[in-house]
Amino acid sequence: MSPTPPNSGVRQRLLYLHARTPSVFSEILGYTPVEPVRDYRAEITADVPDWPYNTVHDALVDGWQIVQFPHLQAPINDRDLDVVGYEFILQKLEEVQDG
Amino acid sequence: MDKSHLLTDMEMVGFIVNGYHLLELDLPEGLNERIAGRLEELDHNPGDAIAEEVPELWQAIEHPAVEGALVSLLGEDYEVQGHRHWHCKQPHTGHMSWHQDSTNNRDNRIDRLLGLFYPTDITPEMGPTIIVPGTQFRNAPTDRMATYTNIHGQVPMVVRAGTFALTHYDLWHGTAANRTSLKRHMIKFLFRRVRDNRAPTWNHDPEAMNVPTAWGGKRDDPKNVLSFGNPIGVGQSDHYKERQIRWKCWNNLLGVADASDG
Repeated sequence: MSPTPPNSGVRQRLLYLHARTPSVFSEILGYTPVEPVRDYRAEITADVPDWPYNTVHDALVDGWQIVQFPHLQAPINDRDLDVVGYEFILQKLEEVQDG
Repeated sequence: MDKSHLLTDMEMVGFIVNGYHLLELDLPEGLNERIAGRLEELDHNPGDAIAEEVPELWQAIEHPAVEGALVSLLGEDYEVQGHRHWHCKQPHTGHMSWHQDSTNNRDNRIDRLLGLFYPTDITPEMGPTIIVPGTQFRNAPTDRMATYTNIHGQVPMVVRAGTFALTHYDLWHGTAANRTSLKRHMIKFLFRRVRDNRAPTWNHDPEAMNVPTAWGGKRDDPKNVLSFGNPIGVGQSDHYKERQIRWKCWNNLLGVADASDG
């Protein structure tokens, strides 16, 4: 049985941003926030997403920090398409109230 | 076959670019309600036998508009495969992540389609299927999609009762959560190409592509939509690759033996 975490404290908020190109100034194509609270799930929604940022740079201006940049190893076959966009993972260490 | 139900060049190009095509079927009055009623009464999921349990579904599969679209996309002797499934999204259940059915089999062709039939109106709260236009040619195993939730340009199947959605087999899809007290019904069918085209099987105008390339201009004709359509706004490198794949796909559908990049 896992220990019961405290109801508040500094925790790591995560943000997966899939940008159009590896540039932080390019538009975001995918947006997945991960809040460090119990039972949180990021969901696909039917409503048109209303994202607070248009670019990764917008998120940096708002205090997010990049913890992983996109992998840029060149594909073996440059005719293939794979995943959508380039993945940046960002964090914010913030006081979080949980429950 | 009544050729009025075959797709146009623009509709074919729309499918190649976006990976889906929606049909609102004019089914006999009361049929959607009867299908939905039978589904509501099922106490188990019959799997591949769903069309035996609910035989009225054949009226959707064999609707002239569905057959016309299937002939257009898969050729005159397409196969209705034996696998089918009733996707009953229960009330108050969560979303389903992005995935492709089976393993990824991306190529430059249109050989396999999913048919998604909705016998009731589907609202945004009922857990609609959601698709990502233009992702059907991506070689992206489902595990690689796990860090995505909402994607720019995604399209929820918020549709009217009697809608038949044809999608490329490899199109990325998921569902939203069902936040209602209603079951959301969708019946999935599979269709497969049997042989390569030797000629177009849709309402093709041989002059359809004989228009100027609209670099930066008006792009509402088949040639320019095929070249420049970018439904989710991908970057330039991906877009160039998409363009090559689409033209190969188009040439393959035309029956050109050595499908070039165009």
